[in-house]
Amino acid sequence: MIIVGVGGQGVIMVSKVLATICQMQGHQVKQSEVHGMAKRGGGVFSHVRFGEKVWSPTIPKGGADVLLALEWAEAMRWINHLRPGKGIFISDTQHIMPPFACRSRQRNADAAYTRETPHEILEQIQDGYAMDATTMARDLGNERAANTMLLGVLSTALDFPAEDWRDVISRFVPPKTVDINIKAFDHGREWAELVHENPDHAAEQLRRPEIAPALLSEAGEHDGDFVQLDINVDWCKSCDICVKMCPERCLKLDDQLKAVLHKPELCTGCRICEWLCPDLAITVHRDPANVKASA
Amino acid sequence: MTDAKQQTPFDVLQYLRQELMPHFLCPGCGHGIALRALLWAVHELGIEKDNLAIVSGIGCAGRTGAYIDANTFHTTHGRPLAFATGLKLARPDLEVIVITGDGDCLAIGGNHLIHAARRNLDITCLMLNNEVYGMTGGQVSPTTSEDRYTTTTPLGNTEAVFDACKLAEGAGATFVGREVTVQTPTLKNLILGGIAHDGFAFIEVISDCTEIYGRKNDLGSSAEMILSQKSAMRPETFENNIIDRPFRPNALPTGVLAHDKTRPEYGAAYRASIKAQQTKK
Amino acid sequence: MSKTEANANRHNVQGNHACALAAIAAGCRFYAGYPITPSSEVAERMSLELPKVGGVFIQMEDEIASMGAVLGASMGGLKAMTATSGPGFSLKQEHIGYGILAETPSVVINVMRGGPSTGMPTRPSQGDVMQARWGTHGDHTAIVLAPASVAEVYTETVRAFNLAEQLRSPVIVLFDEIIGHLVETIQLPAPESLQLIERKWADAPKEGYLPYAAGDDMIPPMPRPGDGYRSHTTGLTHDESGFPTQDPAKAEAMLARLINKVERHRDVVDAADMMATEDADILVVAYGTPARAARRAVKEAREQGIKLGLFRPITLWPFPERAFLAAAKSAKRIIVAEMNAGQLLLEIERIAGRERVSPLLRFDGEHIAPDEILDAVGKAA
Repeated sequence: MIIVGVGGQGVIMVSKVLATICQMQGHQVKQSEVHGMAKRGGGVFSHVRFGEKVWSPTIPKGGADVLLALEWAEAMRWINHLRPGKGIFISDTQHIMPPFACRSRQRNADAAYTRETPHEILEQIQDGYAMDATTMARDLGNERAANTMLLGVLSTALDFPAEDWRDVISRFVPPKTVDINIKAFDHGREWAELVHENPDHAAEQLRRPEIAPALLSEAGEHDGDFVQLDINVDWCKSCDICVKMCPERCLKLDDQLKAVLHKPELCTGCRICEWLCPDLAITVHRDPANVKASA
Repeated sequence: MTDAKQQTPFDVLQYLRQELMPHFLCPGCGHGIALRALLWAVHELGIEKDNLAIVSGIGCAGRTGAYIDANTFHTTHGRPLAFATGLKLARPDLEVIVITGDGDCLAIGGNHLIHAARRNLDITCLMLNNEVYGMTGGQVSPTTSEDRYTTTTPLGNTEAVFDACKLAEGAGATFVGREVTVQTPTLKNLILGGIAHDGFAFIEVISDCTEIYGRKNDLGSSAEMILSQKSAMRPETFENNIIDRPFRPNALPTGVLAHDKTRPEYGAAYRASIKAQQTKK
Repeated sequence: MSKTEANANRHNVQGNHACALAAIAAGCRFYAGYPITPSSEVAERMSLELPKVGGVFIQMEDEIASMGAVLGASMGGLKAMTATSGPGFSLKQEHIGYGILAETPSVVINVMRGGPSTGMPTRPSQGDVMQARWGTHGDHTAIVLAPASVAEVYTETVRAFNLAEQLRSPVIVLFDEIIGHLVETIQLPAPESLQLIERKWADAPKEGYLPYAAGDDMIPPMPRPGDGYRSHTTGLTHDESGFPTQDPAKAEAMLARLINKVERHRDVVDAADMMATEDADILVVAYGTPARAARRAVKEAREQGIKLGLFRPITLWPFPERAFLAAAKSAKRIIVAEMNAGQLLLEIERIAGRERVSPLLRFDGEHIAPDEILDAVGKAA
């Protein structure tokens, strides 16, 4: 089994759960991982092998029985490791845009993010599951439980008792989040069973992520003063500083968790959002001439 | 310099290698705010990008330099001041600015800091202090506050905290200042003062590491962190009214903490002594 | 020509001082160092000579900082040097690796003393041959020169600067305490007679400029700060743009070029001296001080009718293998004489085969005498 994602998603936690539960069932287990660029755009992966006797710690291309991906682009990066025709593919459909995916100097340029859609992939794989686990987990109360939801899906493919799964998950997730993670796990199981009964169930639930415009410009007029905010959504990392620090409360995070000026009429052009944006993604224009120059 | 102010309004994009953006820093990382403040000061001083040399070390702070559209040198862990010393002596015409972190500057590179301060070569050292080794996953640093949890202080930090500004001042730095990121224009002015100062300038920027350090210690969102940093500071005007304590309890002074214009700048003094010797003959 | 005129440029010079004078003559305009026996005289002389030519001398706070400052000055455009000995050489290793990866020219003098650790600071040794080769971590090249006389310290220091500039790499000059402190009469070459090389400076168009794109010679021209290139220099594995990469193909291309650029220029890097090797039955391999004893041994052996020859590598790394094979053609036995527990010996055994090679090693802080070599020859014959 190969577990992949980007830093901070819980790849390591998921592999620990898997390794432990396999060991509980009396298997020999080997786990090897690469991490260390957490949250800085780097991928994290972990190989878990189990069986009566395991020699090699890593899995060659085309040798994985299960690919569990917490992020779509990472799923695409690793899909060639899946055993052709037989391997089980489970992936979250959420996109986490790595910094290097948007390197073009041009505004509105296409990001270099993977172009394969879940539909295209599921058509090619016999045993594939693509679910918007992050959104579902958020609906349950905590999007960070997306990883245990995917484990719930995986649990239906492995012949281990559900109680053992819940037991191991409870041991490895932070104590405060045991309930939500168990809920997410059960939700994942139920979802997978619905898909087994009706394969279209998954397809119905797949929402294509909307493509956000690369640049949002909002202008407001205040006593004749010109104010325009440029927010470079490709650079915005959703830290929320601008939203919380705006004295007029005129910014918010949109569905894609990108900053937007949702009440332009309240904006005074005080520049606090510009100064405090750690991603240098906000530019406040007070002079119409400069707007033209930078456009 | 005053003319430059009127030239053009500051546009941070002009000073960035935009093809490398967005930068690699985590969401809410204060280093990004410090980067803006630095570039803003560079702009107001009218420093040409071609003559700007950014020397940085290893760590999150060290990699921040690469996003600046200038001559950038990403050197070794703890040693950017050593590289910068060679570079500035070789090329007095360059404006040399060092970007370093608390671990880079105070732990592995502590020796270079005290000697750079003593020597008084015209370098500006910007230390981004986020109290933690972020790049390696959140280990304790010389500035980690007491009792804080890190990946190597699972029981809470029991080591005393470096007051980097006092260290620099004690070692002879002729310009010393500290500022939080939330007061960006004030931070910009402080950095501007440091760069304009003819001698070694040490500036500590209180930065936040929300993703690793903040999360581990329940310090809240980035906005909450930068606000609490501000409330933990006291402006220099109140400096003398508060009893001095050797290590950071909860109130560090901000602003320009030392400014000595009388000590000669090392490079100029060295060149002058050579000239004096030559004319003697 | 009168006697005085002929002697005008002849001076009694100590090895360490010859090194400093050669550096100045080679165009070195920056020195950063830290005092350490037995190399300190290099620093002392540089502190005196550099101001005369408008250069900069600085004594740094430690060995690591010295090498950092040297690289910083070189990045700024000056020819730069430092000198040290064993323990300091160990401390400089990370920065030597940085210089190799970032392709920053620099010259590192290591006047070898007994080790490990503090060892015997005032006694000679050749114990750093392998540290010079493999001291910094990771796969890398090393250009290491080993002069055997004061005159050669001079010429090899000049050559070190030329190689550093031409190949954009740190170059290490290794000599032992005896040579460092040896005073010999040498003829100082007229400055204009020296052939000096300066690194290629970037003059490509600034638009789309790639600082690490190399031509046929595999050596990219160096961008000078202030010339408008505003490039990035890093110790991270990088691609032609100078920015970090983890792309396996680009990572391999970078390291392969670094290794191959030295291989490509073996004609200028390699240097070795041969004595009576054409018909030698027995060949002594020695460098530095032991080579001086070996020369005497060869003379005496030949007088006794023993066909002894000497192979003296002047470039230690990369080892001048081709010249050695030619010199060792007729030799049935090869004796490696060095002041360590067997370091270059490993390389000779690798090339010539263990059965042909016998070691003559001393690591007691004493040099190897001609008689010892003759004894070894007697046993081998």
